[in-house]
Amino acid sequence: MIVNLINIRFKQFYREIHRIGFFRIIVLLGISFMLFVFLYLQTSKFPNAMYASMIVLLLILMLHTKREDKFFLRINCNHFKWIYFVEYLLISLVLLVFLLIHNFWNIALLNIAALVIITQLDFKRNRTSYNTRIQKWIPDECFEWKSGVRNLFPIIVIIWLIGISFSFFVGSVPIALFILGIISLSFLEKGEPYQMIIAFEKEPNKFLYLKIKQQIALLSVISAPMILSFLIFHYHLWYVPFIIFIIFCILQVYAILVKYSFYEPESKSAAAQIFIGIGLVCFMMPIFAPLIILLSLRFYVKAKHKLSYYLNDYY
Amino acid sequence: MITIENLSISYGKKERVIDALELTISKGTINGIVGLNGAGKTTLLNAMYGLKSIETGGINWNGEKITKKAVSYLVTEPYFYSNITGNEYLSLFKNNNFDVKKWNELFHLPLDKIVDEYSTGMKKKLAILSVIKQDKPILILDEPFNGLDIETCRIIRSIVLKLKEKNKTIIITSHIIETLTNLCDYIHYLEGGKIKYSKEKNEFKDFERELFENLENKSIKLITELLS
Repeated sequence: MIVNLINIRFKQFYREIHRIGFFRIIVLLGISFMLFVFLYLQTSKFPNAMYASMIVLLLILMLHTKREDKFFLRINCNHFKWIYFVEYLLISLVLLVFLLIHNFWNIALLNIAALVIITQLDFKRNRTSYNTRIQKWIPDECFEWKSGVRNLFPIIVIIWLIGISFSFFVGSVPIALFILGIISLSFLEKGEPYQMIIAFEKEPNKFLYLKIKQQIALLSVISAPMILSFLIFHYHLWYVPFIIFIIFCILQVYAILVKYSFYEPESKSAAAQIFIGIGLVCFMMPIFAPLIILLSLRFYVKAKHKLSYYLNDYY
Repeated sequence: MITIENLSISYGKKERVIDALELTISKGTINGIVGLNGAGKTTLLNAMYGLKSIETGGINWNGEKITKKAVSYLVTEPYFYSNITGNEYLSLFKNNNFDVKKWNELFHLPLDKIVDEYSTGMKKKLAILSVIKQDKPILILDEPFNGLDIETCRIIRSIVLKLKEKNKTIIITSHIIETLTNLCDYIHYLEGGKIKYSKEKNEFKDFERELFENLENKSIKLITELLS
């Protein structure tokens, strides 16, 4: 059973890779190679090897909490926790190999132990109808934000409050801006039903423009108070929060274009998620930043083409 | 009037689902489309809504190519974006004359709750409300009675009849033939990618009896053979 399911995973992975296309695979391979080199170098020294492990574990924990096949695996497989473990082991294989090469076998073992613990965690999402006043301020057309804020409301509020309350610490606001920026990007991961696109009754260009405008406006609303509080204490570093804000504005535009380039009604596109991830990584390694601009241009054409299938009657 | 001329649609290179289909639907009438599973009902409806590439032929509304501006479409299994409320979903469809509260007196939906908490029937009711709210001249309803209780089925039946009075053109598919024969003015039987028969509802009852007797006899023969 485990072997069969892992086989299916490889087939799904192959299908997604196939959908991405040859050119983008080359770009993806190049970026992955750079990432692996970066990871290899980081895992050669002590505290960094630990940090790298923690980041990978955090990503796996996020994946574990968000995966939607838990119920399916639970009813179809007696040893579903083994499946989680094998999958997570495969995901962290590169990191484990690098740790062993650099003789950090103790960190590698801790990593495997942490994976075992993650497989035992069973988060039950409590779906409740949060209808805060904040929800009413978000325009109805920004359903991604309505949904995302409703889903992560306590986390967003806590991060936002910590960011502002501790703004006298130089790192507080930039870190909060960074986390909230990533959270807002995650709002775009799911494709809406096509009826919700058609309801806008706009041609693709205007539709994309509206989406981008709303996304940036909402990001500005949550970022502005944090940026102001940062400026009160660290006005000589005024450019820091602005740079982070501008980076996330560019990433929002990029993420919208990626979303609609790979848009499939009512589903999450793995290819879109990979490219949004690449966008994020590219801005962490500034040498790749221009690549995002180039990819955005490419995805703009692709998104327009994809949307014209649904909005062709509104030109 | 909707006119479909020489319409052909294929999946891939070989599988032709709709084959040189011809159909005329008069304005302000209720039309049922019936056919066995895989007959191409949903493909035909998708094509009318512009969601399926047409190989040959065309679909016109009042002499011009049909567009989404003229059609509202209820899909068989409505899907909603998670973590948004029923009210938020309905607000996406613009129509200032549509009183959501009043309409909801018919369906009793908890519109302030997120759609994820709705049952299948409630989701269907919400989708029906959104289709009515769009207030377009053509309504396509793919299996509108699936998953609904008897009371709601009757309410929808009344709504459809009232919409007909307002000169809307309605196209319905259903697996429950009796519902269609009671509700529709015309019934079109789809088989092998073509409309095999287009009849007024009274004429269709005789055809239906004959057709399903044949199908049943065939099945009974096979079942007897399999279980012998």
